[in-house]
Amino acid sequence: MQRFTSHRRRFVIAAAVALSAVGMIGVTGVPSASATVPPAPGGVGVVCTDGPTFNLETAKDYITLPDGNTAYMYGYKIAGGHFQHPSPVLCVNQNQQVTITLKNTLSRAVSIMFPGQHDVMANGLPANPEVDGGGVVSSLTNSVAPGGTITYSFVADHPGTFLYESGTDGDVQVRMGLFGALIVRPAGHADYVYGTADSQFTTTDNSRPGGAYNDEDFLVLLSEIDPYLNQAIEKQDAGGTSNYNLDNYHPRYWLVNGRGFPDSIADNGASWLPNQPYGALAEVRPQTFSSPNVPGGVHQYGGVARYLNVGTETYPFHPHGNNGRVVGRDGQPVVGPTGQDLSYEKFAIDIGPGQTYDVLFSWHDAENYSEANPVPVVVPQVANQVFGMFYSGSPYLGVNGAQPPGNQSLNQCGEYYIISHNHALYQITSWGVNMTGPITYMRIDPAHTSPAKPGCP
Amino acid sequence: MSSEKEGSTQLGRRELLRLAGGSTILAVGLMAVDRRFSPFSVTKAGADPLLADPDPTHYMFLGGTDGWIDLPHDPPIGFYHPDPLGVGKGMRGLNGDGGPVDLSTYVFGFRNITDLDTVQRYEQKQRAQHSAPLFWVNEVDPANVHTTEFVVDITNLGLEMRPDLFDAHTLHWHGFRNVIPFFDGEPTGSVSVPAGTVFRYIYRPRDPGSYMYHCHVEDVEHVHMGMNGIVFVRPRQNVTGAGLGGFSKFLYNDGNGLTGYQREFAFHLSEVWAEAHWADAHIQLPEWSDYHPDFSLLNGRSYPDTIAPNAPFPDGWGQSGAGTVVALVEGATIPVGNGTGAVGSESFALGTPWPRPYMPVKTDVNGDLVPPAGADHLQYQPLSSLITCNAGEQVALRFSNLGFKEGAMTIDGIKMHVVGRDATLLRGRDGTDSSYFTHTFNIGAGESFDVIIEAPAYQGPGVYDTYLLYNRALQRNDNTADSTGLGGQATEIHVYPAGTLPAQTVPNT
Repeated sequence: MQRFTSHRRRFVIAAAVALSAVGMIGVTGVPSASATVPPAPGGVGVVCTDGPTFNLETAKDYITLPDGNTAYMYGYKIAGGHFQHPSPVLCVNQNQQVTITLKNTLSRAVSIMFPGQHDVMANGLPANPEVDGGGVVSSLTNSVAPGGTITYSFVADHPGTFLYESGTDGDVQVRMGLFGALIVRPAGHADYVYGTADSQFTTTDNSRPGGAYNDEDFLVLLSEIDPYLNQAIEKQDAGGTSNYNLDNYHPRYWLVNGRGFPDSIADNGASWLPNQPYGALAEVRPQTFSSPNVPGGVHQYGGVARYLNVGTETYPFHPHGNNGRVVGRDGQPVVGPTGQDLSYEKFAIDIGPGQTYDVLFSWHDAENYSEANPVPVVVPQVANQVFGMFYSGSPYLGVNGAQPPGNQSLNQCGEYYIISHNHALYQITSWGVNMTGPITYMRIDPAHTSPAKPGCP
Repeated sequence: MSSEKEGSTQLGRRELLRLAGGSTILAVGLMAVDRRFSPFSVTKAGADPLLADPDPTHYMFLGGTDGWIDLPHDPPIGFYHPDPLGVGKGMRGLNGDGGPVDLSTYVFGFRNITDLDTVQRYEQKQRAQHSAPLFWVNEVDPANVHTTEFVVDITNLGLEMRPDLFDAHTLHWHGFRNVIPFFDGEPTGSVSVPAGTVFRYIYRPRDPGSYMYHCHVEDVEHVHMGMNGIVFVRPRQNVTGAGLGGFSKFLYNDGNGLTGYQREFAFHLSEVWAEAHWADAHIQLPEWSDYHPDFSLLNGRSYPDTIAPNAPFPDGWGQSGAGTVVALVEGATIPVGNGTGAVGSESFALGTPWPRPYMPVKTDVNGDLVPPAGADHLQYQPLSSLITCNAGEQVALRFSNLGFKEGAMTIDGIKMHVVGRDATLLRGRDGTDSSYFTHTFNIGAGESFDVIIEAPAYQGPGVYDTYLLYNRALQRNDNTADSTGLGGQATEIHVYPAGTLPAQTVPNT
C-alpha cells in the first residue's frame, strides 16, 4: 500500500500542471527536421509533427507505468530527437507526397507499414512483403537491416486517421512500441476530419472571438503491454537469451497515448514523463458557450476524438455524458455509395485491433443548470457526500462550492471533469492498481466571466 | 474494496473518516439519516420541489448493498465456487419460513426499495439482487419538464459481509447525454453516496432507447460484483404518434412506425468471474488482469434458469395471461414511497395495468424478495428472460452489456432487425435509414442494441413453438459448468398461435 502514496503525490502535480497550461494552443506543429528534446510543447490535444517529409529513426528507452513499474520500449522518433512513446503523430495534408526516411538503430530488421495507404513505395520501388528462402512471408513490407536506412513514400490521397506500425515481426515489434498515428487533413480544410462540412470541428482559427483557446482535436491511441515480453526483449538486446513464449502473451497494462491514468491527463510534454509526451485530456468549451459580446455563442462546432487501437483485442471505449458521432472508420468517411450520411452516434465505441474511429463530440448541459436555475433537489450537506477530487463543490459550471474541511480539491475554476474510459473494466487496472490505465477526462471549462478568476481560462 | 489502493477514493475515504469519525460507521448500521429532516446546505431559493412527494409514476428508490445469488454448483471451480459462505443465505418460501437455501456467489447489487417501509428498507442489507432492478422511463415532455422528469433516490445500506469496507455508491446512468457531473455518478468528478445517506438524482431523458446503469465507485469491482442493470427510455411518440404504422408502442421517435412493436423484453448481459466474487467475500483481492468470466448471465441468470418465471407479483396483482400484469381485485394497492419510506398507499380498480415504472415484485413481511415459483434458488435473481409472443407480432428486444467481454447474440430461425444502438435510432443526419437485418450482432462492453423480430407463423403441434436466443461466443453459453447442453447467456422464444396471449402490459412478461 505504501507505494501508492508517492503515486498520488505525482498525480497532484499532474493535475496542477494541467490546470496551469490553460490557454496554450492545443495543436502545435513541430518542425520535424529540427526537433530536439522533448518534442511536445505542452497544452492539450494532438501534437502534430508536420510533414510531408519525415526523417525518423528507431530508438529504445523506458516508460513509466501507473503502478511505478517501468517498461523497456522501442519506438520511432524524429532523427536526432528524443525517444518518445508512442511514436510521433505524423500530420500531412491530403494529396501531399509523403516521404518517410527510417534509419534502423536496433539490432533487428524493422520496417514501417502504412495501413490504409496504397501505392506505397520503398526506396523508389513498390513496397512488397518480404519472403524468406522458402517463400514464407518474413515481413509484411520491405524492412531495413540494422544500421541501414530505408525511404517509404506515398501520396496521401484521402483524409482520415491512420496507424503506422512495424510490419516486421509485429507480434513483438508493434507490442514493443513501434507504432504511431498518421493524420491526413482534407485539402484546404484543416478543420474538417473528412472532405465535407459535416465533419468540421473546433479550432482556434474557426472560432469567433473569445471562443476556443485550444484546437479541440484529440488523440485516443490505445495500446497494451505484457511486461514479460518487454523484459525478454530487453534481455535479448543486452546480449542475453530469453525463453519467453509468445503463446503466453498476457497484457497487464493498458494505455492511452502511451500513458496510464492519472498520467494520461497530464499536459503534453509533462516534465516527469520525458519519454511519454502525449496527454489525453480533452479540454473543451460547452457547445452552447456564449459570450456577452457575441450573441448566439462563439462555440459553433464540437471536437474530434481520433481513436486508434494498436492492441490485440477490441477495446470498448465509453465517453460519459455525450454520444460521439462516428463519422469515419479506418480513414474512410461513413457515407453511402452516393454520399448518404451513414454516421451514427455511440456511447460505447468498440474499436477493433488495427482500427481507427473518428468521432465528433460536444457537450452541453441539457438543463442549463446554474445558481439561477438550480438543480431541483436539495443538495445534501457535505458530510453526507463523498467528494471526488475533481469536484468543485457545486453542481454548477464555473462555481466553486463549499468543500469538506481539509478536502484536497484539484478543481480551480469550477470546471467540469467528465470521464472517458475503456469499459472492459479489468483493463483500467495496472497489474493490481485499480482505476488506472486507459482513463481520461473531458474537461469542460466555464464560459468567460468578467473579470476572469485568476488562473482560470 | 480495492479503493485502499487507489488515489481518488483513498482521499475521499480518509476525508470521510476525518469528517465523520465513528458516526459514519454507526450510520452504516442504522441508516439513520433522514434527508428531509437533515440540516442541508440549501443552494437554491424559492419553492422546494422536494417538499412535495415525488409522483410514483416517475419515481424509484434504490438501495445499494451486498448479497448472494445462485449459479450452477456443479462442477465446482476450485475452492471459489460454490462459496461456502453462501450456505443458508437464501430463505425458502414466503417470510423465510421454508428453511434456508444454499446460494453460491457473493455479489454487490441494488434493490428496489420504493415500496418498502423504513424498517423493511434497513432489512435489505445483504439482500441485493442481480441483475439490478429493471425500470423504464418516459422521454420527458418538453412542455412539462418538471412534472415529467424522473426521480431516483439511492441509499447506501452498507456491506454486511465486509464491515471493513465503507465504500460509497453512486448511480451512473450509462449513456445519458449532456448530463452534469453532479448527476452522472462518476465519483472522481462528482460526489458519491456514503453509507447511511440518501442522494437524489433527477433525469430528464430526451433520447429514447436502451441504456444501462451501474455504480461507478471502484468501477471494476462494483460493476463486476453485480451493481448493474438495464434501463430504457420510451419515446414521446408513444404519446404523440399512437397508431403510426398500426402500433401504439415504439422504440424511437421514428416518424413512420419502423420501430413499432407489440411486446418488449429487456436483456442485461453480465458476467461472473468466480475467483473475484469469492475474493470479495473472503477479504481478498483478485488480480483483475487475470480476468476470465466463468459464468455469463442474462438478467442475472444462467440458462436454463433464464426461462424460469419472474419473481411473484405483489398481492392483488398478477397475470390474466402471459404478458399482462393487472389488478386482479378491485382496490388492489401499491405502497407509495419517497426518500424516507413508504408514506401511504394507492388503490386501483380491477383490471388496471401495473402503473409503476419498474418490475412488479412481491416482498414478504421483512421486505425480502420471494423466490419465483419452483425456483427457490433464484430468490435474488428475480427477472426472467423468457420471451413469449403470438405469431405475427413485432417483438422488441433490448440488450445492454455490462460484462467485460463482447457477446455475439444470435437467434436461430428468426431474423433480427437492428434499429438502434446506444440509444440512437440507426438513421443518418440526412435521414438515411441505416438499420439492418442480421441473425447475429456483436455487443461490446457498455454497448446497447435495440432489435425487433417478427414472430413467425405458428407451426405446432405443441402449445407453442420454441426458438433459441443465445450468445454464439461459445464459451459464453456453457458456463464452464456442465460440459453438455446449453447454458449461460441463452434463452427461449415461445411463439403461440395468433391471438393466444393478451396484450402485454409489463416488459419481460
